[in-house]
Amino acid sequence: MQVFFQTIVGGLSIGAIYALVAMGFSLVYRTMGLVNFAHGNVVMIGAYVASTFYMTTQLPFAVSMVIAIVVTGLIGVVIEWVLRPLENRDFDLMLIGTIGFGIVLEALATIIWGATGRAVPSPVPAEPLNLLGIRVRTYNLVVLGIAAVAMILLMLFLQRTKRGSAMQAVAMDYEAATAVGIHVGRSNAIAFAIGAGLAALAGGLVGPLLYVSPAMGGTLGIKGFAAAILGGFGSIPGAIVGGLAIGLLDGFAAGQFQGYSEVVVFLVFTALIMIRPTGIFGERTVNRA
Amino acid sequence: MHSLRNPRRSAAVGVAAVLTLLFGACSAPGASEKAADTPADAAAVSGSDQAGSASPGSTDPIKIAVVDAQSGQLSSLGAWESKGAKLAVDEWNKAGGVNGRQIQLDVFDDQGDPTVGTNIAKKIASEGYIAMIGTSESAVTLAMAPVLAEEKIPNITSGQSPALAELKTSFLFLNGPTSVTYDESLAKHIVDEKGIKKIAMISNNGGYGKGEHDAFLAALSARGVTPVADQVVTMEQKDFSAALTKIREANPDLIFIGSEEVEAGLIVKQARDLGITVPFAGAAPQGTPVYIDTAGAKNVEGTIVSSPYLSNETSDASKKFAEAYKAAYNETAELHGAKAYDGTNIFLTAMKTSNGATGKALADAVRATKYNGLLGDFAFDESGVGIFATSIGVIKDGKLVAAS
Repeated sequence: MQVFFQTIVGGLSIGAIYALVAMGFSLVYRTMGLVNFAHGNVVMIGAYVASTFYMTTQLPFAVSMVIAIVVTGLIGVVIEWVLRPLENRDFDLMLIGTIGFGIVLEALATIIWGATGRAVPSPVPAEPLNLLGIRVRTYNLVVLGIAAVAMILLMLFLQRTKRGSAMQAVAMDYEAATAVGIHVGRSNAIAFAIGAGLAALAGGLVGPLLYVSPAMGGTLGIKGFAAAILGGFGSIPGAIVGGLAIGLLDGFAAGQFQGYSEVVVFLVFTALIMIRPTGIFGERTVNRA
Repeated sequence: MHSLRNPRRSAAVGVAAVLTLLFGACSAPGASEKAADTPADAAAVSGSDQAGSASPGSTDPIKIAVVDAQSGQLSSLGAWESKGAKLAVDEWNKAGGVNGRQIQLDVFDDQGDPTVGTNIAKKIASEGYIAMIGTSESAVTLAMAPVLAEEKIPNITSGQSPALAELKTSFLFLNGPTSVTYDESLAKHIVDEKGIKKIAMISNNGGYGKGEHDAFLAALSARGVTPVADQVVTMEQKDFSAALTKIREANPDLIFIGSEEVEAGLIVKQARDLGITVPFAGAAPQGTPVYIDTAGAKNVEGTIVSSPYLSNETSDASKKFAEAYKAAYNETAELHGAKAYDGTNIFLTAMKTSNGATGKALADAVRATKYNGLLGDFAFDESGVGIFATSIGVIKDGKLVAAS
């Protein structure tokens, strides 16, 4: 029984990170119909920027996170700016462009911070809570809380603000949105910036849990992408549910199938997607691509 | 305009891109080659392309290739290895080179990927490199070995998989002991000397982890000990709750880790969070600063390590090496750099004694070389292994020291 509950705790902890990564994927997708394949690498940049300010300039963790979110948000704007001439012209090239950006970011990180990577000390060094033999790291509770708050803020932004509604409109029909005077390019840039900011949030938070290295974007990106698909690509609550689901699936597969867990996770994922291609919260309105 | 947003087409590209990423996570041959090409290419073009086949009296530089992971998850190892090799070459060059010829050392990035490694093997053969200082990723070395044997390029690898020794090609050498030696020494210390019999194992399913798992399990079996838990994890895994909780339930007195630096560090960190207090044990990766930093110094206290290079303080030679390493890179030297340094020195010594021989003659010269290195006294056997002993160390106050 302890194994069962401990696996749930572990799965949810890493799942919260996947959820944050998935939210960034989904936001860009619902606005532009584009999968940003550089997203995993933006997560890595976020992790590096946050840990650099946290460790070398001794800034508080929260401040370092804010700096990381701003820096990567700017990177998001740059990516969108470079890709903008392709918008409405060649969609496939845009996709490949994001892959190219991912490779560039990884190479840049290797040049700036070296290939070795770094370990980040936990900003919440308290002992894990012990609930009837189930141990819960306080830091993981912080991560789960931040993921929940980020989701709520993003939902509020998209549904309650004018800018957010405009982005929704672009997502649904960009020609009509242009016709009523919405600046599609700006809307896309904001989506990219927020998406990159979410990536930095995920990266910064995952730093103390894992190990920060130029290659860390790979696994996080793939799992986050899978989470977004599973939750319903483009759906923000779906990203959260999908992230937690992938985390749990990961945890239980690891317990049951050991060395073959990765294969099992993606087989189950494939089966789920075949049964329900739109994911858990699939919305047809945002399927713009 | 709408026709340009063909949903099927972009979906297809999307799927293709996902596949690329999926495989790219562990290997991206296309992209990687580019990374590997640039620096080395430039060097190769500027240098003479026939240096390798030059006659002994030639004054052209001797071309040696360093092949290891300069990017990807195992790049910290690659960085240490190429630094160790470069340090040895710089010292020789400063002292006048090998028989008056300077040594040209070029670094190639294999990304820890066997496919990329094989391509590089062909590349260095065609560009006249006469020897290779190889990677610690045994899977890559295994993939490269047939090509290098065919092209008659002697190479010395930092890998330690027993499968390397079983190849018995006359061109492959190991700059350290194999997993069998590491784990036999470790089991001897833990079971025979310490009397610990309740042992749990956790290892990954990669080339290194599998080798460690098999070697340690064999060493335990030989002593009539059965592990109380035997958990296997993947190399991509980030959360080890399930495996560690099972180990916690088995209540072992010691946990053996067969995994690389970073993952082993994460395992220990999460184990401590789960309330596991018993010490860990493992081979070379568990003695490195990356392992200690990833897990946190407090968490790795008491880790038992089997390593041929316990610290920079063991001997005068290691002190001198550590000083030179620190001066060159402003970093503390460790095992992987020392191994590459030893291996490179052995090759350069063989080139000197054989008066600039290449191919089979150089391989024979290497085999005949008796070298007193940082890891111990090298004397190569048929299988290319030159060291057959490791020492046991313990991590105390965040530092690896010899076990009492």
